[in-house]
Amino acid sequence: MTRLFRPSAGWWLLPPAALVVTGVALPVAYLLYYAAQASADQAASLLIDPRLAELFLNTAKLALGVLATTLTIALPLAWLVTRSDLPGRGLMTVLGVLPLAIPGYVMAYALLGAAGERGVIAQLTPFLLPSPSETYWGATLALSLYTFPYLFLNLRSALAGLDPALEEQARSLGHGPWSVFFRVTLPQLRPALQAGGLLVALHSLNDFGVVSLMRYETFSWELYDLKQAIIFESSKVEMAFVALVMLSLTLGLVILEARLLRNLLFHRIGGGAARRAAPVRLGWWRPAAYAFVGLITLLAVALPLGVIAFWMIEGAVGPRVWNNLQGAFVDSLSAAAPAAVLGVILAYPLVHLSVRRPSVRTRVLERVGYFGYAAPPLVLGLVVTWFPTDGARLMGWLAASVEANWPSLLATPVARALAGGEWLLVNLHLSLTLLVLAYAVHFMAEAIGPIRSALYQVPPRLEETARSLNCGPVRAFLTVTLPLVRRGLLVALALVFLSSMKELPLMFWLQPPGFHTLAFNVWDQTNNLNFTQAAPYALTLTAASLVFVAVLLRYGRR
Amino acid sequence: MLKRWIGGVSLIAGTLGLLAGPAAAAEDSLVLYSGRSKSLIEPLIERFEKQTDTTVKVKYGTGPQLLQTLSQEGEYTSADVFWANTAGTLGAARNADLLQPLPKQILDLPDAFTPSSGRWVPITARFRVLAYNPNQVSADELPDSVLNLPELTQVEGRVGWTPTYTSFQDFVTALRISKGRSTAGDWLESMKQLEPKAYSENTPMVRALAAGELDLALTNHYYIHRLKHGGAEGEYEGHEEEEEEHGAGEEGEEEGHDLKPKAPVKIHHFKPGDPGNLALVTGAGLVKGSDHPKAAKRFIRFLLSKQAQQFAANQVNEYPVRGDVKLPDHLLEMKRVLKLSPDFDFERLRELKATLKLLREKGVF
Repeated sequence: MTRLFRPSAGWWLLPPAALVVTGVALPVAYLLYYAAQASADQAASLLIDPRLAELFLNTAKLALGVLATTLTIALPLAWLVTRSDLPGRGLMTVLGVLPLAIPGYVMAYALLGAAGERGVIAQLTPFLLPSPSETYWGATLALSLYTFPYLFLNLRSALAGLDPALEEQARSLGHGPWSVFFRVTLPQLRPALQAGGLLVALHSLNDFGVVSLMRYETFSWELYDLKQAIIFESSKVEMAFVALVMLSLTLGLVILEARLLRNLLFHRIGGGAARRAAPVRLGWWRPAAYAFVGLITLLAVALPLGVIAFWMIEGAVGPRVWNNLQGAFVDSLSAAAPAAVLGVILAYPLVHLSVRRPSVRTRVLERVGYFGYAAPPLVLGLVVTWFPTDGARLMGWLAASVEANWPSLLATPVARALAGGEWLLVNLHLSLTLLVLAYAVHFMAEAIGPIRSALYQVPPRLEETARSLNCGPVRAFLTVTLPLVRRGLLVALALVFLSSMKELPLMFWLQPPGFHTLAFNVWDQTNNLNFTQAAPYALTLTAASLVFVAVLLRYGRR
Repeated sequence: MLKRWIGGVSLIAGTLGLLAGPAAAAEDSLVLYSGRSKSLIEPLIERFEKQTDTTVKVKYGTGPQLLQTLSQEGEYTSADVFWANTAGTLGAARNADLLQPLPKQILDLPDAFTPSSGRWVPITARFRVLAYNPNQVSADELPDSVLNLPELTQVEGRVGWTPTYTSFQDFVTALRISKGRSTAGDWLESMKQLEPKAYSENTPMVRALAAGELDLALTNHYYIHRLKHGGAEGEYEGHEEEEEEHGAGEEGEEEGHDLKPKAPVKIHHFKPGDPGNLALVTGAGLVKGSDHPKAAKRFIRFLLSKQAQQFAANQVNEYPVRGDVKLPDHLLEMKRVLKLSPDFDFERLRELKATLKLLREKGVF
């Protein structure tokens, strides 16, 4: 028996891997199935719709604007934190990560509640800023301020890990500092720029909270708004088309990023180890640097917290809100916590397989995990509402035909089993379990990175030694591997938990009746301009997220 | 080997246990699918729950989203009541056979707007109006019918409308169905001669009107009341215990919000029966396959009760559909209101696709 199940062969890893693949492939299969039913005319009229072109333009403009803005914020910040001699660099790192605790729609709430005629700024100062509602800059700013940490984190690790020898050689060949930066440093940052940039771009493409509150029309808006014409004529076909367009955009991005990363050679060739780079003296530039950091902190951290505090103090929060707050908090937790655990459980097999037994197949498997992340959540949510009831109907039909056509001895148990399956699927529809499953599949990509880095540091020898000492594979894993990857698992848990707490679009489709998270309440109140009522929910959400950002900072240091 | 089997079986059993959804509860619980937002209807729901000792579980979403969910669920739905924001949504629901017929006692409660299909019942009404700035345009100059609006050449370039907004599109649908497609098309073309300014939201348009940037605006009635008196759609300020004592205006003052009770904006209604006065009706229906029909009917009756209708009038600036409700001063009397809207099958507002086609054809957007 033991010969068939060698260590690291992991038969127990295949079922979860299969579940993930199904969870991701099923929606796509669904969409293709419905889209394929379109007649040629229908397809033509759907694709050549001028509105679709307008939405595409808006979406692209938004993504590009956000990329440019986050780059302007994250690159200088990362450089200051790793390469300069500015005092207080530790604090600046924390400030650069803090906006992860603030969901995009809270940032939108902050901007909406600050500017405009009723805003904080108009009420406290003589200035009147134009309302960011319906503007390009409003949506871009809100998105940039909450996604720049992704780029910042990547750039920071990249810059810290750079070999200064290359730059010193460039200097010795006569290049000035700026030339060195653009011709030597920046190109080496390409992988980090791409990884971080991809995350930022995906967030812009898939975002729903910010664009709906700011009323800026992108593809997400279209799927949310679901222009009546599409639904009233009750055509899944048309919805599938819009969804597929969105999906191909995000897929295209992921594939592009994978292509661009091929064949990049950035490590040292030859012997020796890299030295730490000497910090650059800022001198005259110090006040400017502080001003820059101050501005970012003001906009990305102080503004949301300040606006929330202002609206809580300014208005009278009804007693109802405090009662609801508890329920909403519990609801958020009851979705986020299991999702985090499940997400890590699902991600681990994929990572284990791709690290221990690298091959084309396992690499593809890992990419599948990313696919779940790239899929626009509005699309994912929509499709996930289709499949349990469709499946249930199928089961019911099968049960009936089995009863009718098969010999009764065989028919009864089989029909009963099918009816049981039907009951299961019906109860799965719009249940908390389904929401948790959807979150886990969607966010597990965030767990992959930390688990992978942790697993790389555990030599397979250790597990093999344990096996040779007569430990079963499970025991070897629990006693040898697990303690060593614990940190990575914790970071992975924190990341998935954080994302699930803040999540909005998936929950829009999948929330069970009577289940309302903090995120939903913030969005709903802000959408109706009840800034005061939204504040306590926003505050609770941000506070809970801050706890997990602290975990990230503590354990995520590389 | 045995251990693995035990592990596997208990894993499956545990998963199945988790999946068991809430069992069909006792009669005193109810599932509501609401196209109206949570911040708006929460107080009403809670009041119902307290008064009747019933649990109401709500799923919030947009009309189209909930329609899609309901039609997808079919016989498996757990929904009991569908409360929608527009008559078009309810018309589509009825068309897709998602609603059950309501009993006569419920259908008799409203004084107007009950559909002939009897599948849903109106709860509140809003109206399309012509808002004007009395400092720039006098009431005598305003036409009796919306069809004559393009003749007001003196307001060229100073008229506002909201072509992408649902209520405007509903109005054009009503125009198209009651007066014919060519009349509607002609109206759109002649309106374009006036070079109207397009807004995607009503609030900035009404503010522009108050500021004198516009002379006229085609909008819904409650936007003007909201500007002048506060309260209204969604702007619930949390004073529900004191709603009988405070008028909507006082609340606004206390909050220090940007209200302009003296803003130079007035409402002009066209002659009774004109399409320009279209009533935009919100309504509720009993979902087919509901597991709790008694509780559902109790809820719908509650929505049509005097207290709930009073809530709509005071807190949300919407017109009730019962004639025996006391209205705040700034709203019209019920008798006048009920006669304004054109006689029209509101369920046909679901025929939006043809309207959008017409709007695109005429270059409105």
